[in-house]
Amino acid sequence: MFNFGILLPDLLSILTVVPRTIAMAVTIFVFATILGSVFTLIEHRRIPVLRELVIAYKVFFKGVPMVIAIFLAYFGLPPAFEFIASLVGLEINGYATPSWVLLIIALVGCLAAFQAEVIKGALNSFDTGQADAAHSLGYTNIQMSRRILLPQIVVAAIPDLATSLMVTMKALSLGFAISVVDIFAQAQLTAALNYYYLEAFVVAVVVYMTISYTITRGADMLERSLRVW
Amino acid sequence: MLELKNLKLSYGTSQILNGVNFSVKRGDVVSIIGPSGTGKTTLLKCINYLVKPTSGTIDFDQIRMDYARPDKATIQAIRLRTAMVFQQFNVFKNMTVLQNVMDPLVVVQRKSQDEAREIALMELDRVGLSAKKDQYPAQLSGGQLQRTGIARALAVRPDVMLFDEPTSSLDPELVGEVLKVIKDVTSSGITSILVTHEMQFAKNISNRIVFMDAGVVAAEGSPSEMFDAPANPRLAQFLSTELETQ
Ligand SMILES: Nc1ncnc2c1ncn2[C@@H]1O[C@H](COP(=O)(O)OP(=O)(O)OP(=O)(O)O)[C@@H](O)[C@H]1O
Ligand SMILES: [Mg+2]
Repeated sequence: MFNFGILLPDLLSILTVVPRTIAMAVTIFVFATILGSVFTLIEHRRIPVLRELVIAYKVFFKGVPMVIAIFLAYFGLPPAFEFIASLVGLEINGYATPSWVLLIIALVGCLAAFQAEVIKGALNSFDTGQADAAHSLGYTNIQMSRRILLPQIVVAAIPDLATSLMVTMKALSLGFAISVVDIFAQAQLTAALNYYYLEAFVVAVVVYMTISYTITRGADMLERSLRVW
Repeated sequence: MLELKNLKLSYGTSQILNGVNFSVKRGDVVSIIGPSGTGKTTLLKCINYLVKPTSGTIDFDQIRMDYARPDKATIQAIRLRTAMVFQQFNVFKNMTVLQNVMDPLVVVQRKSQDEAREIALMELDRVGLSAKKDQYPAQLSGGQLQRTGIARALAVRPDVMLFDEPTSSLDPELVGEVLKVIKDVTSSGITSILVTHEMQFAKNISNRIVFMDAGVVAAEGSPSEMFDAPANPRLAQFLSTELETQ
């Protein structure tokens, strides 16, 4: 029997981790977007060596399942931190790094590869004739980017960026593997106490959908207010 | 005032310009004609370095550059004295008509908003677009977009106007309004170089015609020399096929 009475307590329990989940998702999203932009810039400018490294990076992180990247970070980063610190003569306990930090690093690593593609797509949607026109009038590259390129590609990228923010939020559920508690993990833990698994996951789905709807609507409104043309 | 010597350019392995010599005197209206794909657009873009020739020189009044040794400051000096009108209009999509014309004045020439607006409104009036000044490009016809492009170019007060097939992407019924504006501009005495397939128009407004073929200037002369008694057999052939299609 489906237990309706348990839904409200479940909801209250799950809501306690919503701020933390969103905070982690936004942090990952911001860093992944910055890193992805740098990657795209390197590729676009055809900077030798760095460009090949970016391509190799993207192949690796697009291909490796995120859960493996998370385990690699979980087991690999603490000794790596200790090793790097020892190079500058410091002694630290790498294994004291909180799991959520390792999770954020792993997911930034993975999602940066995807963000790079999102930004590349937006950049490719820009018709270079406008850049030619600007240059012919004496705009520098920076002036052209600031006045013409960026305003257009930021708006073009909004729908895809909103999607990747939601992908990021869902990817956090993989953090359960290294005991970082997000919405999904909290549903799991709540159910483990009372055995009402179905109810807990139904509540989790409702919470995810609410967040997703809010992000989509927010992105739509942002796009509409910025796309004045 | 402007002289290009022995200009060469290739894309990958295909040689597009094979040593072009080309010059313009102050006040000239020169039309460049020739078959599709012979490098007319490319030649025009060499002047403001939107494409990079491998060799050749440019002399533009006191400015001089060897394309084998391009120099940022010189390129910028040339760009500040020329303005280009594009086949695909290339107006800035995120700006209104007025902003399109004002922006280069504010960003590049560092004029005040008020001064830029005053100049822009004057040029928009000249091309007959005052009523559309607050519209975005997405709301305009091709003819209106091209007139925006022309106003933007005129507003920077260039010494030389470069027109690259300004009417080729327009619906036939919109060609007239743009040609009328160009005619008005060229007859005002501003030095102009016009790449075009509008033979009759070229004949009417130009004082010199340059025929390009296979990456070189194959013939040049006055409109009557070129159109009424073409000495060059390739030119004669080109003109007869053009007249057939028009
Ligand atoms: N970016 C590019 N990369 C490679 N080839 C190019 C590029 N731009 C132009 N070309 C080639 O260079 C040649 C000359 O092009 P250009 O645009 O100068 O010709 P055009 O004389 O202006 O022709 P049209 O009358 O059709 O406009 C063409 O064969 C074209 O395919
Ligand atoms: Mg052309």
